[in-house]
Amino acid sequence: MKKILSIIVALCMCLACISGTAAEDKNYTVGVLQLIQHVALDAATQGFVDALTEKLGADHVTFDIQNASGDSANCTTIANGFVSANVDLIMANATPALQACAAATVDIPILGTSVTDYATALDIDNWNGSTGLNISGTCDLAPMQGQADMLHELFPDAAKVGLLYCSAEPNSLYQVNVITEYLTAYGYECKPFAFADSNDLASVTQNACDECDVLYVPTDNTAASYTETIANVTIPAGKPVVAGEEGICKGCGVATLSISYYDLGYATGLMAYEVLVNGADVSTLPVETAPNAVKEYNADMCATLGITVPEDYVAIQ
Amino acid sequence: MELVKLFNAFPGAISQGLVWGLMAIGVYITYRILDVADLTVDGSMATGGAVAAVMITSGIDPWVAVLCAFLVGLLAGLMTGLFHTAMGIPAILSGILTQLALYSINLRIMGGKANTAVNVSKYHVLITSRNVRALSLENPICLLLVLTAVLILALHFFFGTEYGCALRATGANQNMARAQGINTRFGTVVGLMLSNGIVSFSGAMLTQYQGFADVQMARGAIVIGLAAVIIGEVVFGKLFRSFWGKLICVSLGAVIYYLVMQIVLWLGLNTNDLKMLTALVVAVFLAVPYWKGLAVQKKIRKRGV
Repeated sequence: MKKILSIIVALCMCLACISGTAAEDKNYTVGVLQLIQHVALDAATQGFVDALTEKLGADHVTFDIQNASGDSANCTTIANGFVSANVDLIMANATPALQACAAATVDIPILGTSVTDYATALDIDNWNGSTGLNISGTCDLAPMQGQADMLHELFPDAAKVGLLYCSAEPNSLYQVNVITEYLTAYGYECKPFAFADSNDLASVTQNACDECDVLYVPTDNTAASYTETIANVTIPAGKPVVAGEEGICKGCGVATLSISYYDLGYATGLMAYEVLVNGADVSTLPVETAPNAVKEYNADMCATLGITVPEDYVAIQ
Repeated sequence: MELVKLFNAFPGAISQGLVWGLMAIGVYITYRILDVADLTVDGSMATGGAVAAVMITSGIDPWVAVLCAFLVGLLAGLMTGLFHTAMGIPAILSGILTQLALYSINLRIMGGKANTAVNVSKYHVLITSRNVRALSLENPICLLLVLTAVLILALHFFFGTEYGCALRATGANQNMARAQGINTRFGTVVGLMLSNGIVSFSGAMLTQYQGFADVQMARGAIVIGLAAVIIGEVVFGKLFRSFWGKLICVSLGAVIYYLVMQIVLWLGLNTNDLKMLTALVVAVFLAVPYWKGLAVQKKIRKRGV
């Protein structure tokens, strides 16, 4: 038994040596862990892959893209796979993915994306823009002040704003709290309406429509998946929805000040290049926000509800 | 050299399997001993995680946090037990009702936040996936092995007592147990409480291991728990006949489940198909005992009795 064991150990060592020498040429391995199949997250991953491929050339980078299918236990399994494969860099797409990777390694640089608030996600006190850990990345926090301004610009006479979000999403509550502050400053009365999943979404939305003049939906992955359900309630009720991002606006909103998840992923890819090739220190690399936000509107929805938007809004295709 | 990656991934898979093995032992109590399919675990595992995360991040000793998670899990089991026995709701529905209620309760525990991070560098935790390849006592596998052993010994002792035997009788044949003067309704409640206490305890360990608690973290946990119970029985059933041996099988079943997952990922299969593969693996392991039975019957029929 001991002999067999020692042979196995020796074999492993040999194999490890081979893999060690093979890593000499500049082919970087990058593990990508995405939480769930989702339009926005898919776009971010695509942007990341495109940016890094463009910068390094397709021959110099290998992507191992894994999707946890929405299951956080899978995140831990996949993160473990990346660490044991000793990838050069991990890109974690969405909050639980980032947390699982952060728990798995302190050595391999991790870049997050589609994460709204790094300080809360990683439990860091005294947030100063960078994590001080082996982690950096891009933050998908929409321009909240801009969105509050937009809501005021479109609906100055509204009295009460309903904030519709999913209670299972850590980032949504954060956004709701932030925008409540800005909207209250404009004199609106704000009331949060949390739903748990698609089953109670319609009734919660109905409730919000009955009580409020305008609805606001933050960047919420669950809401993004069920925009039709929201639209089916808000259109008959004649209540407009201001959305946190383009995907939600396309389905059920009238207007949004949206960031592009593709651009966000692309920016993350450029950061990855800095870390891999130029040796940037990931612990001091500041977390970046979305490059630029665009005022967009949903032409069909505006026509249905009889709303005219100012000239500087772009129609969503 | 690809194989090295797989070998490297094994410690992580084993420790994750051991955490879920604790949970699977809880499932074993309801599914095998009480003969009740209890779906509460999808909620109570996250409850344990939530309790542990909130207590640890407010600076309380992790051992106390884990103990509290166990106690809160007992309450979750009590809720299902009362739905089932005092209100006459079928066991499966009772479990589903509690699971639904626990979603809101878990959010309340975490102060309305869906996700609470437990930063390993900031708080003292019992286990973390960070040390999974460390060659020291800090390696989560060490503590998990000890905890599994202690849990199995405790259960072995408990189910060997007079009351434990009465519980086992309740699951084996309710009518017969009642005829022996056993209060089967009370027994079912006790079994459900114990099971959910253990599941909640494993949720507390999982939160520390993965570094966060999330209201959705145990969605579908029952499938992993049942898979572990069944895989353990099919693969190691022949080796262990005793009660404690069967509990070891369950824990090993969870480890095998995660080793298979790791191999599936290593093979580079599309992760979009992960859930389907999980379902297939469990289905095959469920079918094996049935097919074995069929084969034996055929043999008997051929030979004649």
